[in-house]
Amino acid sequence: MTDTPKHPRGVLAGFGRMWAIALNTFREAVRNKVLAILVMFAVALMAFSLVLGQLSLHEEIRIIKDLGLAGISIFGVVIALFLGVNLLSKELDRKTVYAIVPKPLHRHEFLLGKYLGLVVTMVALVVLMSAVLAGFLLMQGGRHGVLMVRAEILILLELLLLMAVAMLFSSFSSPWLSAMFAGSLWVIGRNTAELEAFATGKLEGSAGGTVLGVVLELLPDFRMFFVSGANFDETVVSVHESFVSWAYVGSASAYAAAYGGMCLLIAVLLFQRRDFT
Amino acid sequence: MTAPVLEVDGLRKEFVRGFLRKRTVAVDGISFRVERGEVFGFLGPNGAGKTTTMKMLMGLIYPSSGKATILGAAVGDIEAKRRIGYLPENPYFYDYLSATEYLHMIGRIYGLDRAERHKRSSRLLERLGLAMAESRAMRSYSKGMLQRVGLAQALIGDPELVVLDEPMSGLDPIGRREVRDLIIELREQGKTVFFSTHILADANLLCDRVGIIVKGKLRDVGPLGELLSPKVLRIDVLWQGSEQLQAALREQFDGSEPGSEPGSEPTASPHSSSSEGQVFVAQAQAQLDRFVAAVIAGGGEISSVTPQRETLEQLFVRDSGSRPEEQRS
Repeated sequence: MTDTPKHPRGVLAGFGRMWAIALNTFREAVRNKVLAILVMFAVALMAFSLVLGQLSLHEEIRIIKDLGLAGISIFGVVIALFLGVNLLSKELDRKTVYAIVPKPLHRHEFLLGKYLGLVVTMVALVVLMSAVLAGFLLMQGGRHGVLMVRAEILILLELLLLMAVAMLFSSFSSPWLSAMFAGSLWVIGRNTAELEAFATGKLEGSAGGTVLGVVLELLPDFRMFFVSGANFDETVVSVHESFVSWAYVGSASAYAAAYGGMCLLIAVLLFQRRDFT
Repeated sequence: MTAPVLEVDGLRKEFVRGFLRKRTVAVDGISFRVERGEVFGFLGPNGAGKTTTMKMLMGLIYPSSGKATILGAAVGDIEAKRRIGYLPENPYFYDYLSATEYLHMIGRIYGLDRAERHKRSSRLLERLGLAMAESRAMRSYSKGMLQRVGLAQALIGDPELVVLDEPMSGLDPIGRREVRDLIIELREQGKTVFFSTHILADANLLCDRVGIIVKGKLRDVGPLGELLSPKVLRIDVLWQGSEQLQAALREQFDGSEPGSEPGSEPTASPHSSSSEGQVFVAQAQAQLDRFVAAVIAGGGEISSVTPQRETLEQLFVRDSGSRPEEQRS
């Protein structure tokens, strides 16, 4: 081999290297049987909503929409935790990283490439599950509609943020611990309203209340992405009637990007210093 | 004189482990150079620090102190990494990928376009005898096949420096021979090969120079011819003669007679038998002269006289400061 092709340089080359890692991560995910089974369960839950719809009194479309979104969200969270916590630990356990890090790429490109692969995987899964949900709605004579798209985008943003949090934990702890930490943060993050009420109610003025307030500011606000049933300007938000605007989806995207970006930055710093013994 | 391909200066790695922060020195301030176009063998018993050194050079482990430059750049420089191919010890790959998919992925990291990736991966898989399994998932590969994939991924970037960590490990004799041939081929192409091994026969056959590392310290670096002592250690004599002559010479030359190695204690008989005849081991020239004269005078025949010099194995054992049976490898 004596021919020396020109190599791309700069940002474009960096993206090319990350894309190589991302493509591999995507392949790993779609060839994983566990993931396929979880997606099948989500679709089965949506199919079950057809049966439940029949039992309701002319509320078939509402039930399919509610159960469908819940299915995407619940199974999405399980998939996000499963993928996020295994992302780095598998590489280290199986020592596959030993052959990759010495290749012409930066360590941060490797890590961000892995996350990019997860983003591609999760977008594909949410689009697939949303398409199935739209199919079920059509079968019952309903419409998927733009409100559902906004709700699905919010779920996707939540899952992408959760994967960034899980990846941060997996950069320094075992998969089980990472799943436990990230899972706990998700549960707390979904219930910040109750904790806020506690901090500003019973604990108001006390040191505990102040500490809880600060902690709540630091924790990821997953409630922001699950708005159905919430009260906005004295209007109850729901995909069936009045839902959040595109501007709200935009601000939620900015929050997810900022918080997720911070998690990735810390994960990169930890990964950068790591010895692969 | 051209700049060295690899220059290591006082490289040291100390691991801190456990709750009690116990410190272990894995590599203790080693320095050496690898020149362009040479095959450099990095030898040492298991646990000597070979893999730790290689991992430091490949940016997998950060050194505690010291520095190393590869192809004129600091370790980790992306342009220098583009000119290096590395095979880790006992390589593991993504087992859900086929060899072709894996090589395409690595090719992408090297910035190769699709046509170039296809050309190089096909050529390498053919050269390494993996063409028949190129589209099979690697989870079904044997250890030898994975080692070949490891070699292919190390070479897909057409590197100037090839770093191989125990490339013969786990291979059968045919596989080992193929890897040896490949290293020779790389040298003929003008590439520099830096490889670690504890199999001395391989080093003996392939290396222009060797470095011997023991317990984290570099004991010797240089061409084998210079490192091995030119001193004759003993002389083996193969001879034939009647039974009476054999008995007479066994009695006369029992290892304690005048002319044997001064001050040496006879630990074993210098006489033995082989399928080709009788063997006598002389410790000195004077003893050899007297023995040869005695054989001829008794009507016997001398088939061969072979002076024995220090072998790489003996040098290795000397540097390790232990007997062969104490070596872990």
